Amino acid sequence: MGAHTGHAVDPAHATLVGAADAIARGDISSVELTRAMLERAHRLNASINCFIRIEDELALAEAAAADAARAEGATLGTLHGVPLALKDMFYDPAREVSSGSRVRAGFRATTTATTLARTKASGAVNLGALNMTEFALGPTGHNAWYGHCRNPWNVAHVAGGSSSGSGAAVAARIVFGALGSDTGGSVRLPAAVNGVLGMKATYGRVSRAGAMPLSPSMDYLGPFARTARDCARLLKVIAGHDAADPTSSRRAVPDYEALIEQDATGLRVGVAKNHFFDATTPDVRAALDAALRALEGAGMRLVDVEVPNAEHLTELSRAVVYSEAAALHGHWLRTRPQDYSPQVRARAATGIAIPAASYLEALQLRPLLLRRYVEQVHSKCDVLFTPTLPIPVPTVAETDVGGSASMWETIAKMVPCTAPFNYLGVPALSVHAGFTANGLPASFQLIGRPFAEGLLLRVAAAYQAVTDWHEQVPSLA
Amino acid sequence: MSAPTLSADAVLELARLEGYANLDADTAARIAVGASNAVRAVTASVHESLFDVEPLHFLAELERLADEG
Repeated sequence: MGAHTGHAVDPAHATLVGAADAIARGDISSVELTRAMLERAHRLNASINCFIRIEDELALAEAAAADAARAEGATLGTLHGVPLALKDMFYDPAREVSSGSRVRAGFRATTTATTLARTKASGAVNLGALNMTEFALGPTGHNAWYGHCRNPWNVAHVAGGSSSGSGAAVAARIVFGALGSDTGGSVRLPAAVNGVLGMKATYGRVSRAGAMPLSPSMDYLGPFARTARDCARLLKVIAGHDAADPTSSRRAVPDYEALIEQDATGLRVGVAKNHFFDATTPDVRAALDAALRALEGAGMRLVDVEVPNAEHLTELSRAVVYSEAAALHGHWLRTRPQDYSPQVRARAATGIAIPAASYLEALQLRPLLLRRYVEQVHSKCDVLFTPTLPIPVPTVAETDVGGSASMWETIAKMVPCTAPFNYLGVPALSVHAGFTANGLPASFQLIGRPFAEGLLLRVAAAYQAVTDWHEQVPSLA
Repeated sequence: MSAPTLSADAVLELARLEGYANLDADTAARIAVGASNAVRAVTASVHESLFDVEPLHFLAELERLADEG
């Protein structure tokens, strides 16, 4: 497998914004585009297993409705007629939602996830349910019940987790964008290993109502896309206050597409000097150094920064996630333990051994450590720069149950750069930045002060303006 | 001195107390490592009294810090 530069002859290679514009102009109908993407979905899913269910009839009905609305002169939403797909954990009364599990197989919700409702209201077409790690508990994309999702750059490698199908489907040009969830890196890691953009916005920026919970204090929903502008459009659609989610912020949602047009010259990029690069391998480091040079070449200034308490942030997040996940899964773990795969059962049950006082201390520390982080880091830089995944993308076999002896060691290296920012609540964006020696993507992560999503997207857009990694296409696609 | 770690037996005791009858020794050992790492990180991060800190104000703190930027 390898890369080649895509030529936008096939409509699947258009950007999300380009596809929306083409439909709005009448260059292509939503039904035509949806049929083309469904054909790709069926063909490529045989290799990468990024869908749990491809829903042709529902998708084509939505596309036909989008075309009818356009023909009637209706006001078109910003995603009108554009095929997307969502991780199989966004509730929709019209569809089954398995959460990647046997426990919830066949589950049909009575409510619609707010984020799904917002993409629908913007005119998007939903191609189906994307694969995921069982109950979103794991960073690799393995799934014992629905099959492992595989990386379109090389199917021997993982697609990352837990939003494995979201990253793989966007990279394989099966959909123009996707949604996933991120409790410790589950949007950013699959975005990184599949070579696309993935954002976890600020805590409270995007409603979680109607999406499967894992750890309500650490859960985020976020977009996957190939370009910063596509990501900006998706974020604008799903962000904003929601009465159904009392933890959502009432702050106004800015026009992210306008923000990314602003000049990035002079912005300060803080390179983390502690913790985040400790486990980074030489070939990942080389890709990230090249990315830093590109950012410098685009007019940004590099500064060194120390991230306070960095060595403990991942475990602090785990103290919260383990506790809340054990509470949510307690009844099923007691009554249906055989319906969990062994790895996921262990992860879901870890909270039974965390004292309640430690859980509450971790939550109480959170605003204090957030303030310390913002004051010490963002007084020196506008955005913080770290790896997303510090190691080359591992293989499915290396990280599977009964795989290599170093399996747990490899898995443990997957989240230390992402989970800290779930705990701190600040926005973080993974950006594709080249390839390692094994031919798989390498990516960096940008982190900002609270509600600085537009700034992160602006830096990503400036980076994509001077590089072409986002235009590389897996040979398989 | 080695870092304090919960034993697998202690996890099995907790599991029985909490009604998880089917936990095996290997899973208990994994849980012991994971829980111990998390608890140690919490303990190592507390450097002041948390008596007056309200965790539910986290969103308000995020919004305040955004406005200070």
